[in-house]
Amino acid sequence: MKKARVFELYVAGVCVILGILLVGQVRTQEYIGQSQIPSRRLEDLSDMLRRSEAERMILEKEVETLRKQLSKVVEGEKAAEAAQAELIKAKMAAGLTTVEGTGVIVTLNDSKRQAGPSESHGLFLVHDNDILQVINELFAAGAEAVSVNGQRIIAVSEIRCSGPVISVNNVRIGPPYEIYAIGEPGALDSALHMRDGILDTLRAWGIEAKVIKSTSIQIPAYKGGLYFEYANPVLEGVQK
Amino acid sequence: MILPAIGLIAGIVIALFTPLRFPTEYSQYIAIGILAALDCVFGGIRAGLQNTFDKNVFISGFLVNTALAATLTVVGDKLGVDLVLGATVAFSIRIFTNVGIIRRYILDKWFKNACK
Repeated sequence: MKKARVFELYVAGVCVILGILLVGQVRTQEYIGQSQIPSRRLEDLSDMLRRSEAERMILEKEVETLRKQLSKVVEGEKAAEAAQAELIKAKMAAGLTTVEGTGVIVTLNDSKRQAGPSESHGLFLVHDNDILQVINELFAAGAEAVSVNGQRIIAVSEIRCSGPVISVNNVRIGPPYEIYAIGEPGALDSALHMRDGILDTLRAWGIEAKVIKSTSIQIPAYKGGLYFEYANPVLEGVQK
Repeated sequence: MILPAIGLIAGIVIALFTPLRFPTEYSQYIAIGILAALDCVFGGIRAGLQNTFDKNVFISGFLVNTALAATLTVVGDKLGVDLVLGATVAFSIRIFTNVGIIRRYILDKWFKNACK
C-alpha cells in the first residue's frame, strides 16, 4: 500500500499543475471570448478595417486642410473684427446708415415778396445753388451727416435745378427745404450766421431761413442704389 | 485515489485565488500542456494500479511529453501545419486507452470485492 501512496503523491503533484492550468486556460478562453471575434468573421472584419483605414487616411488629410483653414480663420478673426468696425465706419461715411445726434435743422422757404416789374421772379426763390452753399457751409463747420428733405447727401448726391423744383439723389423736392445736419450745433449755427454769410445773403432776398438747434435729430440712410460702372477700386497695400 | 483528487482541487483553488491568466498567444500551448498533464495523470494512475509505477518514468514522461507537444506546436506554427493536432490526437488516444485500462481494473477489483 505504501507504493500506491507514492504514485498517488506524484499523480497528485501533476494534478495540482493540471488544476492550475485548467483554471488559467478557462480564464484565458473566457477572455478571448469576450475580446475576440469568431474567425469566420475575421475576413469581413479585416476588409472593413482596410476600408476604414483608407477612409481614415482621407479624413486625416481633410482634418489637416481644415486645421490650416481654421488657423487662418483664427488669425483672420481679429482682422475681421477690425474690418467690421472699419466697415461700419465706412458705411457711416458713405451715408448708408441712418444716423442720429445733435445738430441743426435749417429751413429755407421761398420769399413771400412779390417780384417787382423789373425784377426777376427767380431771385426770390430758393435755388439749388443756395442749398448747395448752405450744405457746403455746414460741411465746412464740421457736419458729419446732412440731408435735404429726407434725402441723404452722399458723395454722389446731386443738388440740381430741375425746373420749378430741385432734384436731390434723383428725387425731386420742393419748398420748404429742410436741411438736417448732424454736428456740433453751436458751430453749425454760427457758421450759417456768419456776417455776410450765406443766411445773410439769402435773407437779403427775402428768403425765409430758419435755423433750429436740436439735441437729437435723425438723418436717414441713402436709399438709392450705388452703381460703379467706370470707377474701379485701386487697392493700396492690400493686407498686412 | 483521494490524493490526486485533493491535488486537483488544491490546484484549482490556488489558481482561483490568484489572478492567473495566460497570454492569449500562449493559449494553444497551455491547452496542449493540459492534455499532457491529463495523459500523465491517467498514465500514472494506470501504472500505479498495475503496480508498475516508477517515479522517474512518470516525471520524465510528463516533462518530455509536454516539451515534445510544445515543440510540435511551435514547429507546426512555423510550418503552417497543425502539428498540434497530432499531439492532441496522440494524447487523447492515450488518455482513452489509460482510462479504459483503469476502468477495467477498477471493475475487476470491484467485482472481486463484491464476489467475496
